[in-house]
Amino acid sequence: MSNESESTNLPDPFQAMTSLWETNLKNWKSMRDTSLDSWSKTMLDTVNSDEYSHTTGQWLDTYLTLSQPYRRLIDLMMTQVLSSLNMPMRTDVTSLAERLTNIETRLDDQDAKLDDILTAIKSVSTSKPATPKPTTNNSAKAKGAR
Amino acid sequence: MSASSSPMNSAALQDELKRIEEKTRTLLRVSTSRANVAQTPKQVIWTFNKAKLYRYIPVVPSEQRHKVPLFLVFALMNKPYILDLRPGNSFIEYMVKQGYDVYLLDWGAPGIEDKDLKFDDYVLDYLPRAIRKIKAVSGSNEFTMLGWCIGAILSTIYAALRPDDGLKNLILLTAPLDFTDKKAGGFVRWVNDEAFDPDKIVSAFGNVPGEMIDYGAKALKPVENYIGSYLTLWDNLDNPRIVESWHAMNTWVTDLIPMAGATYAQLIKELYRENRLIQGTMVIRGERVDLSRIHANLLNVIALADHISPPCQSESIMTKVSSKDQLLLKVKGGHIGMMAGSGALKFTWPHIDSWLAERSE
Repeated sequence: MSNESESTNLPDPFQAMTSLWETNLKNWKSMRDTSLDSWSKTMLDTVNSDEYSHTTGQWLDTYLTLSQPYRRLIDLMMTQVLSSLNMPMRTDVTSLAERLTNIETRLDDQDAKLDDILTAIKSVSTSKPATPKPTTNNSAKAKGAR
Repeated sequence: MSASSSPMNSAALQDELKRIEEKTRTLLRVSTSRANVAQTPKQVIWTFNKAKLYRYIPVVPSEQRHKVPLFLVFALMNKPYILDLRPGNSFIEYMVKQGYDVYLLDWGAPGIEDKDLKFDDYVLDYLPRAIRKIKAVSGSNEFTMLGWCIGAILSTIYAALRPDDGLKNLILLTAPLDFTDKKAGGFVRWVNDEAFDPDKIVSAFGNVPGEMIDYGAKALKPVENYIGSYLTLWDNLDNPRIVESWHAMNTWVTDLIPMAGATYAQLIKELYRENRLIQGTMVIRGERVDLSRIHANLLNVIALADHISPPCQSESIMTKVSSKDQLLLKVKGGHIGMMAGSGALKFTWPHIDSWLAERSE
């Protein structure tokens, strides 16, 4: 009995650890969120400054200027390689795609005209309801002749 | 170790380990897979170059449906399924259930052969053709056009150039139209810097890469986009509702498409820098874009916390148009959250529906 009572009164190390962990985690999250908020405000001020605009603009300009010769070189090499292999180049594919788009444009124009014709036919057929054909003298005569 | 507490805590420890395992699995799943998006049933009714026009299958009987079809025009540099993100969080699904005949224009991803496409082409080639098809399919000569972001620019230009083409209602969402304030937001500041040369970008890439546009959008709020979003996910990994919502949004955010080079250059030079649209000096294929020619009913929805198109860029159009029936609706939320966030279903969508319903008969 006394042993049992002692054992139940002993502090549970797991519970203590869990509790400590949870408290620490909560504090850490709160600290993290506060620092993120402050960091966010600082960064917002930074990216909305003229200095940032100028620096990134300058950086981009430098990158584009410096990389231009390499891009040209790669284009030239690709053109030579593809041409020697008798393969279509980017310009060929581009021109083919442009021609396809032109064909598609004309098809769409035809489709529009067809829609207009169908609409016109529908409106004609609905505006002039079918009326019984009047019996003419000729047809009466024809019937009589038979 | 106590004899009585050990088995219980051992079970608790095992539960905790299981929970961590489950969270890790969820994290892996949502960060490496695509969510099942754009599930509202639809059919392609028209294609042109890379563009597709979808018609959503109506769920309301035709006699109870609104007469005027609803045509949705999204931005050029993102996929339009943000309007149909997932069941229960889809503007399109909502509007279809409210009895609208809904059409969505998907611009598609421009290839290198499309690098010379300009606003002129989108407004005067693509939009009129898509609208013609909508009229043919719906049997209505009138339509409502809803444009979001760059889609709102395109819709506005169209409404000004073709005011008598049957456009009954014009709905603009977070429309970047007025760039008078050169300090309003990061984008305006960046692209107005003398070191920033859009022609050089276009010359280098042809079409502006999706990654570059994505970087620009994320850099406007770097901490929230690069860190905060992932921390929110980590903190809520055992909340399926938040996880699935994050997954769907992340699928959309990472689904990048390039922007036609000539359109990008035109956007930066003629709009962001020279502010031609609002000043009435923009010319599209020889036609001046005169905003006072717009007489369609106008609903202009702006997001109060929009960091991409700050409210000041969207408000002034109200005084430029001739529309007698016009409403400026200010809603809480950001550029995307306004229409796809948790508050959209409770506020933005019902407001758009209630305004549009009485103007769609």
